[in-house]
Amino acid sequence: MTAFGRDSLEVDALRTDRYLEALLAQRDARTAAANAAATGTASTPSGPVDLDPSLRSTIASLDRALVRVHPSFRFEERVARRLAEVADAMRVSEAAGAEGTRVPVPVALPFDPALDPADPALAGPGPVLPGVSRPLLIGALSLAGAAIVAWRFGRPVDPMTRAVRAAHQLAASQRRAGGRPHPVRPHAVRPH
Amino acid sequence: MTHLDADRALVAAARRDPARFDALYRKYVAQVYSYAYYELGDHHEAEDVTERTFLQALVALPRFEERARPADGEGASTFRVWLFRIARNVVANSRRSKRRRPQSVLDEAAVVADPLDIEAGVTRRAEVEAAWAAIDRLPGDRRRALVLRFVEEMSTAEIAGVLGRSEGAVRVLIHRALRAVARELGSGR
Repeated sequence: MTAFGRDSLEVDALRTDRYLEALLAQRDARTAAANAAATGTASTPSGPVDLDPSLRSTIASLDRALVRVHPSFRFEERVARRLAEVADAMRVSEAAGAEGTRVPVPVALPFDPALDPADPALAGPGPVLPGVSRPLLIGALSLAGAAIVAWRFGRPVDPMTRAVRAAHQLAASQRRAGGRPHPVRPHAVRPH
Repeated sequence: MTHLDADRALVAAARRDPARFDALYRKYVAQVYSYAYYELGDHHEAEDVTERTFLQALVALPRFEERARPADGEGASTFRVWLFRIARNVVANSRRSKRRRPQSVLDEAAVVADPLDIEAGVTRRAEVEAAWAAIDRLPGDRRRALVLRFVEEMSTAEIAGVLGRSEGAVRVLIHRALRAVARELGSGR
């Protein structure tokens, strides 16, 4: 293509772009008008219209044909819950880390969090960039859960809690021995 | 004068507290889903891509860098560009083993027609079928650029960010795509 041809193409492309800008800017107003009027009439933006008629017609067709589609409410809420779970795991990881440092999501991630998922190099025919799958979530929650359990059992417990635990352990050992668990009497619990 | 990313406040809140990412998710879930649906032509694949996109965006949010420029225009959000670049990558990886079925998109578009006006519905469906058949024959980025322009109402600057091209190249891309569709629709009449 000659330089003149290229410039001409860019000028035409710029004209088309401005026409599209005007069309999209008027969409809201046209949507309201279309709801009250008959459908099927080609709508064109107001203002200077110096675009090729076939292009104008094509743009009008695509403006009607290319509509946004929406996911189901159930899907939207399910993903929202999953995002909240991952967000909780990230917060627990951050809390468990050093002061002021953000600990990345556990290494159970199927892809390296040091990478930018928007990097074009991660698309294309190379290895699949795995999504964050349920094993990751379970891994993250397991780590978080383990941290919480370790924290809880590391805390000193009050005498009543120890008594309840001892009573449960006694009942469990009696069941394993094949007998019926005997009612736990207060004096069977070793006082602190 | 610094041009602020329209989503700057939401992104900052989500960085402080990942649970606040929900606001960004709610704002863009339909857009990402729609983009994925047009790319893959299948509800289930679009749902999978959408979910993977937002999970990756949540985890990688600390790596996001705002780059809003005055040329991006009013309301431009580089977070949105970043999000759609993630979606594009996820679609590319998903497409490796999936076959695009544009007919399901036609079904979706036809539903939008007034169910009480049968004649208009038939006309609309024929128009949509013709438009989509023409779009489907376009090369990848031309088709992508049209969908981002018409469906997501992105500016050429934003589309340039998503596709990794210059704004001038995106304008030419869209112009050529429209001319190609116009030729097909014109020859079909």
